[in-house]
Amino acid sequence: MKLLFVTLGFLLVGQSVRAESYEEHDYILNCSGCHRMDGSGSRAVPSLHAMRDLVGKPGAREYWVRVPGPAQAPLSDARLAALMNWLVARFTGQRPEPAYTPEDVKQLRSKPLRDPIRKRNEIRGTPPSNTGTP
Amino acid sequence: MSRLDRWFEGMTRQSARRVSRRHWLSRFGGVLLGGVALPLLPVARAADKHTVGEDGVKGAAGDPTRCEYWRHCAIDGFLCSCCGGSHTACPPGTEMSPVTWIGTCRNPADGKDYIISYNDCCGKTFCGRCICNRNEGERPLYHWYRSNDINWCGGAKAQTYSCSTALVVKVAKEAQPEK
Repeated sequence: MKLLFVTLGFLLVGQSVRAESYEEHDYILNCSGCHRMDGSGSRAVPSLHAMRDLVGKPGAREYWVRVPGPAQAPLSDARLAALMNWLVARFTGQRPEPAYTPEDVKQLRSKPLRDPIRKRNEIRGTPPSNTGTP
Repeated sequence: MSRLDRWFEGMTRQSARRVSRRHWLSRFGGVLLGGVALPLLPVARAADKHTVGEDGVKGAAGDPTRCEYWRHCAIDGFLCSCCGGSHTACPPGTEMSPVTWIGTCRNPADGKDYIISYNDCCGKTFCGRCICNRNEGERPLYHWYRSNDINWCGGAKAQTYSCSTALVVKVAKEAQPEK
């Protein structure tokens, strides 16, 4: 009987933790249509795996929220912050440092980038190119 | 074994003695014709509403060849299920676009919202059959992330739009915010 209660307790906790996390749901509904389920993108859409190239570079953490996708996503600041923490960890292999807060996201998305590709090349330190995909 | 043989022999001889061949043929023909006429009766057509279709949904909302099919809640285009494909597969000679419009629809059978991916089939001229335009939860082009008026064949090898599928990705945690 005791074991049953313990098990039930664990199941309940597990359920409530899962119910709180919307990152994968938000990724599928708001990103995967263009970036695809595996993040590989297409001819016109950049691959999210290319985010690795910018890991640790100054300005990368801010850049990732100011690009058109996240900056215009129909998500609250809190949900977008959670999604970005999840997404950066998934595609770069390490969590953003420091983690995004809703306030960060609110401030960053208020300044969307006019020319994301030029900004990316600046951060990466490579000469500008005209191709859409990195 | 011999008992079964004897039983069959007895039955056959008995029916040959009692029933004429023409009598049997006329009866059998009657049954065939009557069976064909049955669905024309209003009773049979009324029963259609209650037959369980795709995904356990009753009536038109369970028929992938109809605009009313539950997964088609935000569809804008021709149904691949009327064009030689199905609601999950492209017709021969077309390619499924990797980029796609994504939204949620509620399945009336279990009352849950599902994430639906409307992958377009591309590479042949437009199909022209079963045009549907429900657009529930769709937004104008300036909300590009939730607009289905973009040519989503942009990610495929050939950009000619042929028809649309409606794939279930998984159960949604909530309905999309535009609903």
